[in-house]
Amino acid sequence: MTEEKKNFKKHLQKFTFKALKATLKAILLYGIYFTLSIFLAPVSEILPGFQQILETFVMVYIILMIIGELTYGTIVYHFLNAAKALFVILYMIFALQRGIVSVTVQNVNLIVDLRLFLSTAILLGLLGFAKSTLQAVNFLNEKAEHIRL
Amino acid sequence: MRIPIRMISLATTFFWIFLIGFFISAVYSIKDVQFGFEEPQMKLTSDNKILFSLPITIDNNGYYNIGSFNVTTEISDKEGFMIAQGSTFISVIEKGRQTVTTHNVTIDIDDLLQNNQNYLFNDTELEVRETVGMKLAEVIPVQASTNLSMHWGAPLYNFTLGEIEYTPYNLSHILVAVPISFENHASFDLTGSIQIQIYNSVDISVGEGQITIEAPQNAPFQRNVELTIPVTQIAEIRYFEVYFSTQLFSFGPLVISYD
Repeated sequence: MTEEKKNFKKHLQKFTFKALKATLKAILLYGIYFTLSIFLAPVSEILPGFQQILETFVMVYIILMIIGELTYGTIVYHFLNAAKALFVILYMIFALQRGIVSVTVQNVNLIVDLRLFLSTAILLGLLGFAKSTLQAVNFLNEKAEHIRL
Repeated sequence: MRIPIRMISLATTFFWIFLIGFFISAVYSIKDVQFGFEEPQMKLTSDNKILFSLPITIDNNGYYNIGSFNVTTEISDKEGFMIAQGSTFISVIEKGRQTVTTHNVTIDIDDLLQNNQNYLFNDTELEVRETVGMKLAEVIPVQASTNLSMHWGAPLYNFTLGEIEYTPYNLSHILVAVPISFENHASFDLTGSIQIQIYNSVDISVGEGQITIEAPQNAPFQRNVELTIPVTQIAEIRYFEVYFSTQLFSFGPLVISYD
């Protein structure tokens, strides 16, 4: 009974630590977003939907990150990391309209060519995806070795 | 495997920070770039064309240079026929500097009349497509374009020949006074001459006269062209041919029948 209690306490401690870490990371990420959004204010004035797109992105990213942190130490953590990398790629393609952003404001048609930025972001996203895959392989490998030992 | 993973992690983080930092600073620095479009000016060139000049001042107080700055103006009629085009290109606008340039568009009225003679006699609206393009931080291409409408004032608006007056000149000829009138709606003064030829029923010229014109912009013009014709031809007059010759264009004949 005492052993069970100890185990429960240990698990609770671990979970609390993970939750705390996730909360801190989320606050930090939101803080960075909040600061950067001040610098991006001129864009939001020109592109009315820009703020909404950015907010949705940050929200989903933070949710994935929190769930990922809570599942740290399991294979799910690596899957979520891979999902996060894929989400970044797909959301960028969707939000940046495949790199050519076109807006009409008061009879003025504004076109911003972000293909170079998008390509770089996609490459970095793919690199993140590759990293998560390697981490998952490494995790399973280490787990297999541990069981064998 | 841990070391390669760590290296990928580091590289990815570094490049993400660099990419986001660069993008945000490039966008943020737009607010410190000021574009000043001054009042457009119009003048005549030495080869008698109309030159529209738009002085542009660019104050680049942003963090980066601006590359491939270009302004393009395309003037076309309602049917889409291109009347004039002008382009101004600056390869680099350095940060912390003020750049002043003039965007010029030249209109050749002779070319314009090749397409449609109505520009001489009727006011109309022309389509103007204005495009401004640049590369923010010499990397991010941005282009803004708009369509405007420009009023074209006809230099010979409402050109008409009035009631002809006949006065005896000598025994064989008669003096004919042909009143001509028009309003110069154009944005330039009109100086030159108008020549009138009178033809009879068998298409033979029976008389010819010429006057010089000086019509300031937005002013009416009215004068008589005087010419002599044989007395026997008075009843034979069928039509007039009018020729215009100004510093900007030459046009003719404009055939006006005599009722």
